[in-house]
Amino acid sequence: MHTELEQQQAVARALRELPDDGARPYDWREFQRRAHAGPAAGARVARMRALAAVVVVGLAVMATAIRLGAGPRPQRPPATVAAQATPAEDDSAAEQWLETLPREPALVRVGTRAAIATLEDHIAQVDDLLSSESASRAPAARVNALQQERAQLVNSLVQVRYAETLANATR
Amino acid sequence: MTRLVEIAVPDEVRVRACAGEERARQLIYAAVAAPTFTLIRRVIGSRSAAEDVFQDTMMILFERLADFRQEAPLGAWLRQIAISRCLMHLRSPWRRARMCLESALEGELPALARAASHAPPPEAIDIERALATLAPTARAVIWMYEVEGYSHAEIARAFGRSVSFSKSQVARAHLKLRAWFEPQGSRPTCTLS
Repeated sequence: MHTELEQQQAVARALRELPDDGARPYDWREFQRRAHAGPAAGARVARMRALAAVVVVGLAVMATAIRLGAGPRPQRPPATVAAQATPAEDDSAAEQWLETLPREPALVRVGTRAAIATLEDHIAQVDDLLSSESASRAPAARVNALQQERAQLVNSLVQVRYAETLANATR
Repeated sequence: MTRLVEIAVPDEVRVRACAGEERARQLIYAAVAAPTFTLIRRVIGSRSAAEDVFQDTMMILFERLADFRQEAPLGAWLRQIAISRCLMHLRSPWRRARMCLESALEGELPALARAASHAPPPEAIDIERALATLAPTARAVIWMYEVEGYSHAEIARAFGRSVSFSKSQVARAHLKLRAWFEPQGSRPTCTLS
């Protein structure tokens, strides 16, 4: 009866005593023909390395761009109303900026869209009030207060739309 | 069997080959091609894949011949190149994808045909056929250990794995190969793992 070790040795011996593979490799001419048909192994390795380097650099640039937000960055809105002395001038700049934005993107965030709709409704109400106050020759202080409120609402709308634009650009 | 590791080439021939002389390169090719191809064929299994790996190995040999430091016979240096090319082939995702496809197709073969295609000839132990039924990694490991004389530590380094990996692969391969020494009824009919 053979022990396990003897069996292992027999297998090892059988492997070592296997004759040369009957299937011979091709001859020197065929080797040369194949060598000339395809690029050299070294050249292939170099080409693969170059390709890998390009891919790595590309990914690094993309990652950095995403990280720093350097992608197709949306145009910044005009300065906020709070920093300006005359809200009327600022209003027009802010509204011009808002005009450049698409009316409504294809995909919207419900929360953001609700805030925008509320602000736009408030601005429309203030606009109605301003029209009626102007028509009824209301005191200048009252008209100024309404204009100030409108400017603040426009400012808020600009900030929300800008945030929405940034979010869409990085999506 | 001619052992690749023992093949040496006269220094004068090597120098001429380094200088690009075709006749010298042809002499080196004639000396090492057969044992190199046999080694690759044993580790890789399929002839067409073995030819690709063999071509790569021989091209690397001639491209880097000037780097050969003569610390060992040329055959030993070439064996390192061949083994590393084989392992790269075994690790390649293309080969793995093809293996998956082949396994899936094999699963669709009728059981009878499959058993017939793996059955050893009744008259003798067909160690070559048994070797072919091993998984590629197990085949490479047992060949490197039992025939090429690599240690477990060297195999572990070549595969980027632990010494235990090498030992367990050798033990499992022995277990499967030994089954082919046993009586006909207990022989495996198909080994895919």
